[in-house]
Amino acid sequence: MLKYIGKRVLYMIFVFFIMSLVMFFLYNLIPGDPARAELEPLKKTMRPEAYQMRYEQLRKQMGLDDPIIVKYGKWIGGVLQGDFGMSTRHKKPVVDLIKAPMGNTIFINIFATILALGISIPLGIKCAVKRNSVMDNVVQVLTIVGYSLPIFIITLVSIFLFAVTLRWFPVSGMNTPNFHGTGIVFFLDRMHYLALPLIVMTIGSLGGMTRYVRAAMIEALRMDYIRTARAKGLKEKVVIYSHAWRNALLPVITLIIGWFISIFSGSLVIEQMFNLNGMGKFYMDALMNQDYNVALAVQMFYMVVALIGNLIIDLSYGFVDPRVRVNH
Amino acid sequence: MDNKNTPKKKKSFLQLLFIKAFGTGKKKLSILEEEQMQGPVRTIIKNFTSNRLSMTGLIVFLLIFAVVIIGPFFVKLDLSYTETSQQNVNPGLDLMKVPSSLEGKVAEISVGPTYTIAVSDSGQLYMWGKTKITSTLNLKYVPSNMGKIKRISAGFDHILALNEEGKVFAWGNDRQKQCAVPDKVKELTNIVDVIAGYQCSVILTADGHTYFFGNEANNDYKNTHNYQGQIVKVVTTADAVLGLTKDGQAVYLGKQSNGYTKMPENMGTVVDVAATASTMAAVNSDGKVFVWGNLSERGEGKVPEITSKIVALEAGRYHYTGITEDGKAIAWGFDNYNQASVPASVKNSKVVKLFTGAYQNYAVTDSGKILTWGLKGYLLGSDDLGRDILNRLINGGRMSMTIGAIAVIISTIIGVIIGGVSGFFGGKVDIILQRIVEIVSGLPFLPFAMILSALLGNALSSNQRIYLMMIILGLLQWPSLSRLVRAQVFSEREKEFVTAAKAVGVKQMSIVFKHILPNVISVIIVTATLDFATCMLTEATLSYLGFGVPAPQPTWGNMLYGCNNSIVIQNYWWRWVFTSIVLGICVICINLTGDGLRDAIDPKSQER
Repeated sequence: MLKYIGKRVLYMIFVFFIMSLVMFFLYNLIPGDPARAELEPLKKTMRPEAYQMRYEQLRKQMGLDDPIIVKYGKWIGGVLQGDFGMSTRHKKPVVDLIKAPMGNTIFINIFATILALGISIPLGIKCAVKRNSVMDNVVQVLTIVGYSLPIFIITLVSIFLFAVTLRWFPVSGMNTPNFHGTGIVFFLDRMHYLALPLIVMTIGSLGGMTRYVRAAMIEALRMDYIRTARAKGLKEKVVIYSHAWRNALLPVITLIIGWFISIFSGSLVIEQMFNLNGMGKFYMDALMNQDYNVALAVQMFYMVVALIGNLIIDLSYGFVDPRVRVNH
Repeated sequence: MDNKNTPKKKKSFLQLLFIKAFGTGKKKLSILEEEQMQGPVRTIIKNFTSNRLSMTGLIVFLLIFAVVIIGPFFVKLDLSYTETSQQNVNPGLDLMKVPSSLEGKVAEISVGPTYTIAVSDSGQLYMWGKTKITSTLNLKYVPSNMGKIKRISAGFDHILALNEEGKVFAWGNDRQKQCAVPDKVKELTNIVDVIAGYQCSVILTADGHTYFFGNEANNDYKNTHNYQGQIVKVVTTADAVLGLTKDGQAVYLGKQSNGYTKMPENMGTVVDVAATASTMAAVNSDGKVFVWGNLSERGEGKVPEITSKIVALEAGRYHYTGITEDGKAIAWGFDNYNQASVPASVKNSKVVKLFTGAYQNYAVTDSGKILTWGLKGYLLGSDDLGRDILNRLINGGRMSMTIGAIAVIISTIIGVIIGGVSGFFGGKVDIILQRIVEIVSGLPFLPFAMILSALLGNALSSNQRIYLMMIILGLLQWPSLSRLVRAQVFSEREKEFVTAAKAVGVKQMSIVFKHILPNVISVIIVTATLDFATCMLTEATLSYLGFGVPAPQPTWGNMLYGCNNSIVIQNYWWRWVFTSIVLGICVICINLTGDGLRDAIDPKSQER
């Protein structure tokens, strides 16, 4: 087991370096001269010769004339020490900037995940048990609709219904502008603003998850031991929740873990549409404003999260199911 | 034998497709009978067609597909087309719905961009079309106590009316003071005509004087022009004013010298003038028409050759119409909504009066009937640049589906090759390929697609960006398929037929792709179908965020770009509702089809 984990981690590190190299190359394809941009405000106050000298000096200092592999080495060295460079837009270290949106994203996504799981698991079990009933068929159609609709259409419709027509919730933002409450009042105000994004996120993930739980449960209910349990005369409740659900849980747990990992990345579309200051919007803003140090840092973060997520999912298979011990 | 079989097979397939979908097929066979009689493919088709939900999905999808593939041949898309006067028009086909009570007593009709106003013989006002200008401003709120109306004129977003007593009324958009009638005009008692233009109003008196109010920065008009006291008719373009003097001369009433001032020489005695948005026209006593100004390729200057004399001119936004001395209507100019194609019913009747404006034409015949031609309206409304949403929906659908299809083809090819090779050879090849799969599937999809599009897209042209979208989607989509194919190939390669093929000495590559692959084709088809839906969704999401296919090329995703604010969501709902519905239905149908296919192929899910 340990050997397998060690091997996987090694692979992971290898993949990480390959990917970071690819990303760095991609970002370096963008034309631009940071040294000139840095000196631009000083250009008018300096004599041309002095300006040229400062420019050359700065280029050397910034290492702009180095071959790309050297540049990559410098950059990845910084990254490994937690230095992602400066944001050209905010003139602050990227690490400082990223804290607030990440906090918000985690806050929002924890709620969304709990809501989605709380609804989809009971619903999925119910549908699997009463397979081909009217309710199951209705839920099947609804879940297909749910995962077929792009999230921005769900958002548009819900903004139209709940924010614009019924006026229950605000259209966008995270707090009332110039809000000065603290503690519980602040929390309530925040939740009032976050209610609609949370509803949308939950609806958006409900379809796929319910189908997944239902499929896992149907698979489990088909097993011979269920027939045995029924033949023994066990109560239907015990059969479903104790025998079947425990076995159906195996694939579902991996889904849940995967889900928890995605809470760090945030939703690009929802955060953009509701103007929530989360990771997704942070990333989009950086891309739009060509603040490539920030975009690169967020991209690296996404990648690390995805890699670790994959590892945890693979390991959790063996962890929750003794039959699938991974010891290649 | 073969000849006999083929048509029968075909008939039975059609039956299955159309009859069984609605539940009127033959009796269901027992499993034994079924399997005895049918090959696996026919069993799959039968299973699939007996699933009503997925059949409905397939049929609806095929309908949408047919519309967006065939539609663009009929509904042409002009990428550079924008039209300020047709922005955000509500859905509906009522722009030319003349009230029946007006029939036979038309005194004057004046056409605005999206509405038409008319006055009857008895001075009664009629209005139809889309009169709403903003959420608070609506042209249908006419001033009260106007009395009997004599003249009427529809401007860009305001209306001028002149009553019997010579009093001027103005209502509508007043941001440029085009509705604020100046005191010196109010004092006049001899007003004979009112002309509403683009954000401006012109008043004409009986003694040939003109008065102007409204946006002077946009409209070139000189208050003290040399022809005060001689003018008998005034027309306006979108930015200039043209007059006709009583001695038959067309005169420019502005201070600048521009395209409008370069009038043709030797026009003779001008009897009528007219002006489109950017050109001016005059007809002389010989019936010869002259057009000048900022002529465009829209064809305002292409006056048709006719034998009879033109006696009166009218102009729309980009087209002209005229009446000949024997009561025939002719039209030329921009013909995108058939506004310059006179219909047969008008050609065959004698036209007494002709009213043209914007994209509509109204011809009053000698029997008092009102015949119309031109733009009826937009079935699904128009967008913020005045483009027809239905048109963009059809053309955008083709683009969305093309991108989805090509992306799926790319991803299927890559997935099948990598999955097949990796599954068949195993060992080191497998390890290396699996690392590549891991790298690609480890990439967060949306952010990575965005970054590629943002980084590479800047340097590319619009068309190249469309190809880029296809390639990005294809290159990021394949890992799931390759994993499935690999797992299937793993189990297939141990079977006897592979051993047999190896023993015979078939080349390894041809074992993979000719012997094993046909056995896993069902998985590939199902995954490709579901991937097609995913690709369309991703393309839509990317374009919606502004990182996909750039405007003006429409796709279902970028048609929704810019709809994310409460004003558009509420007031211009047609800009997102129809596109969302079509995109949603299309993806739902593809997913239904894919699910049905999977159920039909997978015997386990049949639960026999």
